[in-house]
Amino acid sequence: MSKLLWIPVAVVLLALPLYLDASWLKAGQYMMIGAVGAIGLTLLSGQAGQLSLAHGFFLLVGATSYSVLSGTDDDLVGLGLNPLLALIGAVAISALAGVAFAPVAGRVRGIYLGVASLALVFLGLYLGQAAGSLTGGTSTGRAPATFELFGFSFSNEGTLIVAGVPLRGTERLWYLFLILLALSYWLAKGAVGTRIGRSWRAVRDNEAAATAMGVDVRRTKAGVFAVSSAYAGLAGVMIVLWFDILKPDENEFGTYGINTSIAFLAMAIIGGLGSIPGAVAGAVVVYGLPQLLTLYSTDLGWFTGSVTPVLVSSFVYGAAIVLVVLFEPGGLAAIGRRIKELRS
Amino acid sequence: MLVLDRVTLRFGGLVALDEVSFTVTPGSLHALIGPNGAGKSSCFNVISGLYRPTSGAVRLGEQNLLELRPHRLAGLGIGRAFQNTALSTHSTVLDNVLLGRHTLTRGGFIACSLRWTRREEKRHAARAREICDFLGIGAAVDQPLGSLPYGVTKKVDIARALAVEPNLLLLDEPAAGLNTEETAELAATIGQIRTDLGIAILLVEHDMDLVMGIADQVTVLDFGRVIADGTPGDVQTDPDVIKAYLGATT
Ligand SMILES: Nc1ncnc2c1ncn2[C@@H]1O[C@H](COP(=O)(O)OP(=O)(O)OP(=O)(O)O)[C@@H](O)[C@H]1O
Ligand SMILES: [Mg+2]
Repeated sequence: MSKLLWIPVAVVLLALPLYLDASWLKAGQYMMIGAVGAIGLTLLSGQAGQLSLAHGFFLLVGATSYSVLSGTDDDLVGLGLNPLLALIGAVAISALAGVAFAPVAGRVRGIYLGVASLALVFLGLYLGQAAGSLTGGTSTGRAPATFELFGFSFSNEGTLIVAGVPLRGTERLWYLFLILLALSYWLAKGAVGTRIGRSWRAVRDNEAAATAMGVDVRRTKAGVFAVSSAYAGLAGVMIVLWFDILKPDENEFGTYGINTSIAFLAMAIIGGLGSIPGAVAGAVVVYGLPQLLTLYSTDLGWFTGSVTPVLVSSFVYGAAIVLVVLFEPGGLAAIGRRIKELRS
Repeated sequence: MLVLDRVTLRFGGLVALDEVSFTVTPGSLHALIGPNGAGKSSCFNVISGLYRPTSGAVRLGEQNLLELRPHRLAGLGIGRAFQNTALSTHSTVLDNVLLGRHTLTRGGFIACSLRWTRREEKRHAARAREICDFLGIGAAVDQPLGSLPYGVTKKVDIARALAVEPNLLLLDEPAAGLNTEETAELAATIGQIRTDLGIAILLVEHDMDLVMGIADQVTVLDFGRVIADGTPGDVQTDPDVIKAYLGATT
């Protein structure tokens, strides 16, 4: 995207909380969570060519780490750290969890790596239930500490009025998420265009050539897993702040389950593997659709019994993946590039 | 100076390399030739660390190459081009060539994502463009590799190997898949690299005629054994070499 185009985009995103009501803002925040996670996965699977279905697990690692590091509950493990430190700590712990998976990532490739990484989701399911003193357990979960930045609380606390609109918790969280997404995007862009990004693509395209050019393939794979997991961990922190609760899944489908891992992969594929703006667009499709359908569900009157917005949107993004794979492997990113070429 | 000392490589019962010894002296264009299945590629892969020999030693100066992990060789000044161009087809020519600067640059995710390496990147990109200009592909630097003809991608592969700033350049059958005209052009490029850059080149090649015109030293392999080692003149008239090549073609 050209530099000038960013200005109107930023203005609109910054102004939205003044016009939209909370339920719409929640939907937008959910898409931002998806975007942060999807950027991480598109670096791993798109740029470095490492298929991973473990994203849901790393989300859980980040979510749990934040809750534990910042937590103050008496009956659960909690360190009561400053929420900003807890967020940074959670991202770091998620990165380490990604590095811990490196010995596996260094040995298996392609679809086998995908299956091996899927095992982590089941590990997460087990740990989420077994380590109740950390996660709060499946029945009650645990409430995360409210996020705070230098004494400013991202909750309904205090009154803050801008242009006649009171900015309450939801509005404030919107700005927090916007900052986190912008930072994630900017960092990823910087990495992709330089030395580290080249080493990722080299590992993806030809390991022998990468080695001959001095790239330590094993280390590069471990590193990109760490980066991708850090992004997933950040998305995990955002998701506990969004739900305002950490609740481990009861089965393999849930907030941190297989469906989540697949949804992130869908975002990366629909957006065009390896493309960062594409990942954001993919997140808007995959996470935006169920949110919008839910908001409109009563007006639409489509949803009865087992036909839920989530189910319908799964079908839609499933179809979108098939269309992308068949007709435009470059995804939304490639379509965007083509539009840009037409204009110039 | 690259020294191979009694290198033996076995694949099960098959002896791919049998006590192979030769020396590539600094600044020389050394050709390694031989009929199909002679062991040229195996020898090449031993030098570049992809195969571990059963016995023997490979040294670059004082350094024993066999005790290093293969990705360390680039840092020692060994550049390598591939038989079937192993490039990233979706990336631009510049991006591909810049990969060769990997060991000459620093910076992981944090440094790169925070743009701490920006100035260094610029400097190295300028050098990469220079190398492309030198090889006559300067006009294509910003184009995606996938859109270029095979002859050009071959040169990109060599440009990437040169971007390592090697004192030893390994070329594995660079003429494979090229027509006569392109082969002649490539031979000229290789000669130019040697004279202008003064680096040693180990050229693995099937085609005797290409080699004889430009090489300083020729080592001939047959059935994994060195059957001749000398100047092109000596080797061409060697009865064993003539027999090996005639035997292979009839
Ligand atoms: N990885 C391997 N496993 C088993 N045998 C191998 C392997 N690589 C090479 N060989 C065998 O070693 C011998 C030498 O092969 P090599 O590829 O080194 O020959 P070459 O001189 O490069 O031939 P060409 O001119 O066809 O490229 C051949 O008999 C080959 O079948
Ligand atoms: Mg060969």
